[in-house]
Amino acid sequence: MKTRREVLQSLIVSIGGASVLNACGGIARIVPSSSMRFYSDQELALVSRISDLIIPRTDTPGALDVKVPGFLDSLMTEWANPETKNNHHEELKELTRMLGEGFATLPPDASEQRLAEFDYEAFNGRPTSYSGYRSLKSLITQAYFASEDGALQEQKWVAVPGRWDPCVEIQ
Amino acid sequence: MPDFDAIVVGSGMSGGWSAKELCEHGLRVAVLERGPEIKPERDYVDQLPPWEQKNLDRISQDEIARHYYKQYPGVAYAVKESNKHFWVKDDEHPYETVNGTEYDWLRGYHTAGRSIMWSRQSYRMGPQDFTANKEENIGIDWPVRYDEISPWYDYVERFAGIAGNRDGLKQLPDGEFQPAFELTCAEKEFKTRVEAAFPGRNVIQARVAHITAVTDEQRALGRTNCQAQNRCHFGCSFKAYFSSLHATLPAAQRTGNLTMVHNAIVQSVEYDAESNRVTGVRVVDAETNQHRFYSSRLVFLNASTIASALILLQSKSPTFPNGLANTSDQVGRNLMDHVSGAGANGLIQGFENKTVFGRRPGGIYIPRYANITEHDKPYKRGFGYQGGATPLGNANGQIPGIGQVFKEAHGAPGPWRVSIGAFGEQLPNPNNRVTLHPTKVDKWGNPLALFNVTYSENERIMLEEARKDAVAMLEAAGCSEINSSPVNLTVPGNRIHEMGSARMGRDPDTSVLNGWCQTHDVPNLFITDGSFMASSACQNPSLSYMAFSARSVKYAADLLEEKVI
Repeated sequence: MKTRREVLQSLIVSIGGASVLNACGGIARIVPSSSMRFYSDQELALVSRISDLIIPRTDTPGALDVKVPGFLDSLMTEWANPETKNNHHEELKELTRMLGEGFATLPPDASEQRLAEFDYEAFNGRPTSYSGYRSLKSLITQAYFASEDGALQEQKWVAVPGRWDPCVEIQ
Repeated sequence: MPDFDAIVVGSGMSGGWSAKELCEHGLRVAVLERGPEIKPERDYVDQLPPWEQKNLDRISQDEIARHYYKQYPGVAYAVKESNKHFWVKDDEHPYETVNGTEYDWLRGYHTAGRSIMWSRQSYRMGPQDFTANKEENIGIDWPVRYDEISPWYDYVERFAGIAGNRDGLKQLPDGEFQPAFELTCAEKEFKTRVEAAFPGRNVIQARVAHITAVTDEQRALGRTNCQAQNRCHFGCSFKAYFSSLHATLPAAQRTGNLTMVHNAIVQSVEYDAESNRVTGVRVVDAETNQHRFYSSRLVFLNASTIASALILLQSKSPTFPNGLANTSDQVGRNLMDHVSGAGANGLIQGFENKTVFGRRPGGIYIPRYANITEHDKPYKRGFGYQGGATPLGNANGQIPGIGQVFKEAHGAPGPWRVSIGAFGEQLPNPNNRVTLHPTKVDKWGNPLALFNVTYSENERIMLEEARKDAVAMLEAAGCSEINSSPVNLTVPGNRIHEMGSARMGRDPDTSVLNGWCQTHDVPNLFITDGSFMASSACQNPSLSYMAFSARSVKYAADLLEEKVI
């Protein structure tokens, strides 16, 4: 099993170009190469951290294994129009403020606890002020399940089911 | 000697049928398709897995603004990056609406037209649908009754392959069905509870044009059973759902009588006043802009309800200064669609340990009960609901939680949700019409369509009631967390069931076609797309276009043989 750091490293390498990883209290601090076309260094660190916390590696690959942040960087570059791009930047800025400036470098337990509380608020409290987070969470989830590992291993997606069974008991 | 015995304008849902039937009657047929050729092995993308789809299969927002500003908002569920070649670019194929009105004209210009993107729901019209206009003195009487078209429904169903259950409902007659897709356990429970609470209502399996018990005839065309992929809007490599490309055009092709012409935009049908016959069609080539003429003994217009009306209106002559076969002034009028925008959804408990396997192509249908089994309605006609009850599943991350729990929640089926939405009948109204734009033309010089269509009070009142009924049924079924947005009527055209622009009737003064889809004015000109519909009923109409096309061809071929035309 790779460490989280190795996963991050492979992610960044796969995005292309030289990058530097600094271990800092067990947390990877990302200094990405210029290969990211949309995210700034700080944004990438935040999106990577949140992706990893929302969909971590378990017995199946996690969001970082399947390169969700790089996928979202491409999505924003190729799919989004200027208004959506700007909104996404603004949402990340607001998210940084709401989560606290140091969120991306908190120790793992602390960041997990912080995001869990935040997520609870987003779904139970005042949802409208959390729309940026909910939209990012949706994108991370969609990107993960659109990946080969996410679709096949986690979601058990079958290309050609071949039959329709309307009522299957879950074992 | 004319170039062909018959010309069929358009290769979609009805044009494919006209072509097949004409070819099988031994006639030499040209099908003129305005768009390019679609080849399944090259152009279908149903086998593209999620991870090979670009950008979550979303068309870029700038590209939507440039090319798909009508198509995408109209059919966002079906217009994707990988299949955008199935939809027209709005900037290349513009149209106009009269100030203060809206219209969605959602199209695909290519082999088989919209029969490769349709939603495949297939219902017969019932006896009441052919008599309602007369009984209520609305529009004009249909010159056909259910019993006359019933055998033709049998005929097209056998060939097309319709999965459905024989439910024994008078208003939604049974047909020659292959086995239906079984209801989910939650749908069975929903059905039991709704039918107990509302004795005049039924919850049945959707009837869809999918093969579930392939026949030898279907196998011979390279078709096979539905594989429950639910990737139908991307084409179907198994040719399991009915389309012209999977079924009727190959059947026409194998007779040796078919000439398929692509990129041929028909500009007019030529008319000879001396013989009172049409003699052929003039086309402009979509790619080269060259003009050509094809002559024939018969012309079938299957260009689609709107395009066929436009072709007639463009075909002016001293005999028909207002457009060919338009002495009644009804061409382009009475334009109808179905109306949606009312429904409800809610959670249904008791199935937490169950899920489904496979992705079926249809769900449940609640056939029309208003003014059939229930007579207390503040509106005329009625509506059916389409819907289903399935596990909510992966809600795109819109569920609470993070980490392993959140991740695994997506593997679980989650709560089951019932959802139903109404499709209502739109009454015919001569003021709802499409005309030729007085000044604007497209890049081939053809006048743009100008729409002026609005809903009437009957549709508005009906959909308000449909929303209340939907909530009441979900409540009766014990659903929780019931959502029902305020009624927001779909834009006319949005259901992609355009009908009525050359209605059939008994009187040449008030209708364009007779009961055989033959123009009253010109005996060798037929129209068998949705134009002929004298009322819209509330059922999805494609199956009716198929049946009327096959029936009209038999009639026309007999007239040819008897040298009447």
